[in-house]
Amino acid sequence: MKIRRPILWLLVSLIVAASAVVSVPGASYAHQDREATLASASLRHPAGTDALGRDRLVRVAVAFLLSLAGAAAAAALTTAAAAGVGTLAAFGRPSMGWTMMLACDVFLALPWMFLLMMVRSALPLTTTPARSAAITFFVLAALGWPASARAVYRGATQLKSSEWMLYARATGLNGASIVRHVIPNLLPLLVPQFLISVPAFVMAEANLGALGLGVGEPLPSWGGMLFELNNSPMLMQTRWVYFPVVLLVLMLLLLEGIAAQA
Amino acid sequence: MKVALTGLRWTARTVVIVLLVMLGSTLLVRFAPGYLSDAREMDSRYAAAARSELSTEAASSHSIPHMILSEIRGSLRGDFGTSRQFDVPVSELIGPRLAVSGGLLLRGIGLGWLLALSAALISTAGKNPSFFWQAPATLLLAVPTAALATFCLLANSGGPVLVMALLLAARDFKFLNHALRRGWLEPHVLQARAQGLGPVRLLLGHLVPALAPQLGALASLSLVTALSALVPVEVIFNVPGLGELAWNAALNRDLPVLLAVVMLMAVAVTCSGMAVPHGADWESA
Repeated sequence: MKIRRPILWLLVSLIVAASAVVSVPGASYAHQDREATLASASLRHPAGTDALGRDRLVRVAVAFLLSLAGAAAAAALTTAAAAGVGTLAAFGRPSMGWTMMLACDVFLALPWMFLLMMVRSALPLTTTPARSAAITFFVLAALGWPASARAVYRGATQLKSSEWMLYARATGLNGASIVRHVIPNLLPLLVPQFLISVPAFVMAEANLGALGLGVGEPLPSWGGMLFELNNSPMLMQTRWVYFPVVLLVLMLLLLEGIAAQA
Repeated sequence: MKVALTGLRWTARTVVIVLLVMLGSTLLVRFAPGYLSDAREMDSRYAAAARSELSTEAASSHSIPHMILSEIRGSLRGDFGTSRQFDVPVSELIGPRLAVSGGLLLRGIGLGWLLALSAALISTAGKNPSFFWQAPATLLLAVPTAALATFCLLANSGGPVLVMALLLAARDFKFLNHALRRGWLEPHVLQARAQGLGPVRLLLGHLVPALAPQLGALASLSLVTALSALVPVEVIFNVPGLGELAWNAALNRDLPVLLAVVMLMAVAVTCSGMAVPHGADWESA
């Protein structure tokens, strides 16, 4: 796996820049500057402010870091679950494999958005913003594993019938040892699954947030900032409202560029 | 006989999947911590009425088997139960919206395929992958559906069909471009080209038949993508379709409506998967 350096460096630079913005003393995503609502770019607010006078640059930086960290954690969970389910289905009893693949079929029979909406909407109305963010990404991880599990299952089934595996089993390798040998061999399959899942989860969170079902306010999120675009008077007053969208598209382009090369 | 058996097996599989979707969705929503809560509880004017409705709901949903049975009974009756939000049979809400969403999906998928196929054909006519065609597809794939729909709405250019079509075209183009580029270099196609066969005859006589199973898989995948895009597109453009109904039901915790829509989606996706002859192609598409 070879990832083009400029893409990786650009992403790392964005992470460093966002971390620097967030760590500036006094930078707060929730602080309201009541005298500068919907302000344009200035020295005090380099990317202007939103309708409540909150600094847009800080909010974008927090949304960037939160989204990236949440999506990466969710992708790691999904990949781990897919590795477990796929390997168990391939190396376990046939009935277990059949049941697990049926479970995958049930999840795959539903478009993501409907499942996400159903689960996310059934949360208490009093959920805190931090908890809503954690739940959103957890739900993404909980619903995103079946496609990866199917891919892992196919890879593991091929491994099961490979010559070295037949030899290993013939010489008495037991279940736990087989798994220990199988997982490293599945890594070339698992790493791309992880990298593909990250931009998919970032996009799912943005779509969910734009419908008002994502991360709760005042915690900033891409979806929440897309929601701002529905406010027409705001759009007339400042063009900086498009800044988060530009950065979100850039982030997704970089993540998809990395995933495409994996 | 073999065809009948295969058909029977597929039908049984679809029924089992739909039943499991229904069972899973009911349990998922019923046991979610916020199921027995309502936004009206926060408003002192409606709090008492909302609490009384919720306690009735809590009593009626106390027995899970009874709840699931009543959902199945509603589906078999054809009315899918009664909407918690509107207090009318769910079928009355779904019926007119099904036509709206169906029309939107058909036009969106049709236009998307036309765009993707045209772009892929032009792109593969050249020797090297064309940046001119690759770049817009890559950019479109990085724009969330909600953002694309909002931009089209703000720019007052293009409607829900165009957004859906662009989204699908970007996804399908990548696949079609790759498949066609490989197809043009197949030995029998090269031989036919050397003998002077025209591009239209080559395409219809050699390329499309060879790609048919993969195209079937892609069509099925297009439906899943379009269904996922249905909610943001309909909500942002205010289209009174199934996506908007599901969104409203999700916000108002209207379980019967949500279940009915989810079941319809499961049937649509499972049936579209049945149309694909080779499972492996479906998975690898």
